[in-house]
Amino acid sequence: MLKRYFEKIWVQNTALLLMLGLISYYFTFVFEFRTDLNWSILITETEYGHMGKLLLNGLGLTITISIYSAILAILLGTLFGLARLSKFKPVYGFATVYVEFFRNTPLLVQLFFWNFALPNAFSEEIRMKLFELNFEFWAATIGLGIFTSAFMAEIIRAGIQSIPKGLLEASYSSGMTFGQTLRRIILPLAFREIIPPLGSEFLNNMKNSSLAMTLGVAELCWSMNEVEALTYAGFEATAVATVTYLVLSLIIAAFLNLVNMKLKIIGKGQEPLTRRIADALFWPVGAVWETVSRTFRRLTRPKASSKTLTPFQEFMHTAKSMIWKGTVLGSKVIFVLFLAWLAYRTIMGVASFNFTIIADNMRALLIWRFPKGGSTEVFFGLGGLAMSIVMAVFSISVSFFIGLFVGMGRTSKNRAIKVPCTLYIELIRGNPLIIVIFWMYFFFPVIFGIDLDVFWSATWAMTIFFGAYIAEIVRGGIENIPPGQTEAAKSTGLSYLQTMRKVVLPQALKQMLPAIVGMFIAAFKDTSLAYIIGVPELTTAAYSINNRLMLYPFEIYTTIAVMYFVCCYLMSLYSKYLEHKLSPEKVRLEM
Amino acid sequence: MRVLKITALAAALLLVAASMVFAGPTYDRVMKDKALKAGITNKGKPFGFINDQNEWVGFDYDMAKEIAKRIGVEFEPVVVNNKTRVSFVQTNPPKVDMVLANMTHKRVRDEKIDFSITYFFDGQKFLARKGAINSAAELKGKKIGSMQGTTSIVNAIAYMKKLGDANPKVTGYQNEVEMFEALRSGRVQAISTDSTLLIALAAKEPGKYELVGEFISDEPYGVGLPQDDSAWRDVINFTIQDIWKDGTYMKIYNKWFGPDSETPFPMTEKIEMWP
Repeated sequence: MLKRYFEKIWVQNTALLLMLGLISYYFTFVFEFRTDLNWSILITETEYGHMGKLLLNGLGLTITISIYSAILAILLGTLFGLARLSKFKPVYGFATVYVEFFRNTPLLVQLFFWNFALPNAFSEEIRMKLFELNFEFWAATIGLGIFTSAFMAEIIRAGIQSIPKGLLEASYSSGMTFGQTLRRIILPLAFREIIPPLGSEFLNNMKNSSLAMTLGVAELCWSMNEVEALTYAGFEATAVATVTYLVLSLIIAAFLNLVNMKLKIIGKGQEPLTRRIADALFWPVGAVWETVSRTFRRLTRPKASSKTLTPFQEFMHTAKSMIWKGTVLGSKVIFVLFLAWLAYRTIMGVASFNFTIIADNMRALLIWRFPKGGSTEVFFGLGGLAMSIVMAVFSISVSFFIGLFVGMGRTSKNRAIKVPCTLYIELIRGNPLIIVIFWMYFFFPVIFGIDLDVFWSATWAMTIFFGAYIAEIVRGGIENIPPGQTEAAKSTGLSYLQTMRKVVLPQALKQMLPAIVGMFIAAFKDTSLAYIIGVPELTTAAYSINNRLMLYPFEIYTTIAVMYFVCCYLMSLYSKYLEHKLSPEKVRLEM
Repeated sequence: MRVLKITALAAALLLVAASMVFAGPTYDRVMKDKALKAGITNKGKPFGFINDQNEWVGFDYDMAKEIAKRIGVEFEPVVVNNKTRVSFVQTNPPKVDMVLANMTHKRVRDEKIDFSITYFFDGQKFLARKGAINSAAELKGKKIGSMQGTTSIVNAIAYMKKLGDANPKVTGYQNEVEMFEALRSGRVQAISTDSTLLIALAAKEPGKYELVGEFISDEPYGVGLPQDDSAWRDVINFTIQDIWKDGTYMKIYNKWFGPDSETPFPMTEKIEMWP
């Protein structure tokens, strides 16, 4: 009876309105804000300068960093994605190490490496030249680009590998060279396949630019912090930053949707409106590309007389191919030499480390002050790597359930469930984790009157953040199940919950497992962000030790980078194992 | 489902109610619980840091401990940093009862929280490579490092503008380590923050760095206290004066800043005493 009512649209809309009403009632009448909001600091000149302008400058820098690093990421990503498919072992090996290393260490630690360790690899003169430039800015931009490129490389590799082998054979047998096949067949097909995951990497890239603040680059997050530090108008500053990040995310998402639309193959005359908008928007790009490639084709078209070769031409031809072969061999040798040099530099660098420093501080890095911590420290002063693991395990296991229900909610037909779930997912996914941590830490306790310490606020912020991501994975999994199965389940008399529990979710979860393990790795790496509010996890422990020692930052940072890498890499190996085990076509049947 | 909703709502209401009970004046709370939660940094040598025995020590730490001892309550240190030291006493109920985190008494801060009398006197200076810079005026057009979330960065910009640098290049790093690393690697020509912190940094490589120029600001450190709790502020003020009067203050001071310490910083001022 109640259920039937709830299927009516007007009931759902009323329920939505009621929720909205309750929320606005709570915030206007029941809830008392602790401090008066002072929005005027954003538009008027304060004692410490114009805060609005500070935030605007920050926005400008965020956009600049995002664009530069996105360009770098897509270039490097394509390069290493292709290199991962190379038959030449050193290239393949180098690309694999590159991808695995940069994917499995936290961005924060990488940024510190670029900013502090890299300059020492150069001579004094070059270093000073580098510092003349805007060094922090470029370290952040290039570091971010390299980090994103490792993820893009994997997506691009998967995209290329998804192309049926027959197509390649067909293209080679029709006389196309490798270059032509790459340009005409592989890349267009692969890119069409990978635009959605690539798009979410662009989004992540923009959000991750918020970490540039840790190097002292005055982007949006930095400016937000500065406004908070100077005027204590933390709520106002964070609200502005949140809205700005959301708008940026929406713009990028809309743009990528248009690109996706443009690349879709749609019959003439059936284009939806979005496709026509996309066509109009990308017309200049297409036109320029057409002209350039046509001119190039005309210039390189072989002459009609080229069917028979004079002896000289034949000689030139063989000479050319000899030179080409020589160049390939030469570059292979140079590449191997380069690898050897890199390995030598790394070994020399590591050998010059002060290992007693690492050994002395190992205990603190692993468990911090445990069990000697004071009564106010969480878990008897537990910290370091152990704390990072505790945070990751808690937040991933709780966010799994949040994600499960919210993800199911988003696929629901009932608006009163679907709309709040969608709002939650999009609101959280549109913001960097740092912002969610700030909200959770500074404002959640005020709004709900619950007192959380740093550990729990950071952990809950991560839980809520990853809940939104897992919800999207769950939604993808559910939508992947053929609708016939749900219909069959319903017709046998199962209720919605029974259908979900007994038919849809067991299959969907199996598909989702690798993606969820991927989230676990991300969560583990992102525990490093909790250092911003002072949770004593691994990065904070390294900071505090560094703060006392001062002179050995490379030793400490390299040690924690290795720790993060080992943990993440083990998890990613496990995920590969799961993926293999769970796809039945790859498992040998045993009787 | 309905039962679940009602339970959740009830639980939320209970939590709100519970937090209301705690939100009383700090003085009553401390006296009732017999425990004093003090916010102290653990990343700022010599005020609060983790030493090589992995113990939490520092000038602020000792002062806070002494205050707790004199009030006769248990001492519970809580970690704060530049971003959280104000908000921890600002929340309702406050997360800590007082904050000693080399925090300068500023009017903007005083609008949000209360402060005790000054318990430490500092000033902002520049630190540069020995012999590289002779006066602050030579820093015009050069790169300077400072710390984000402090007023050091604003002071440094204002000071350079006053010296005639139209567009001062001041970078705000996250904390002391990065700021000092920037100076060591040569990416900035000088760094600027409270002089005691700079002395502590310079002591890491003795003889290589020196303080340059005059004090560019006064930095009187006060104990951060929850807003509008006069009884509590009196207790703290009187206790600080008592600590000064019987000489315990100088003992703690000399332990961290005396001539034999790693960061010598001669005492020049007197704590404000009321008749």
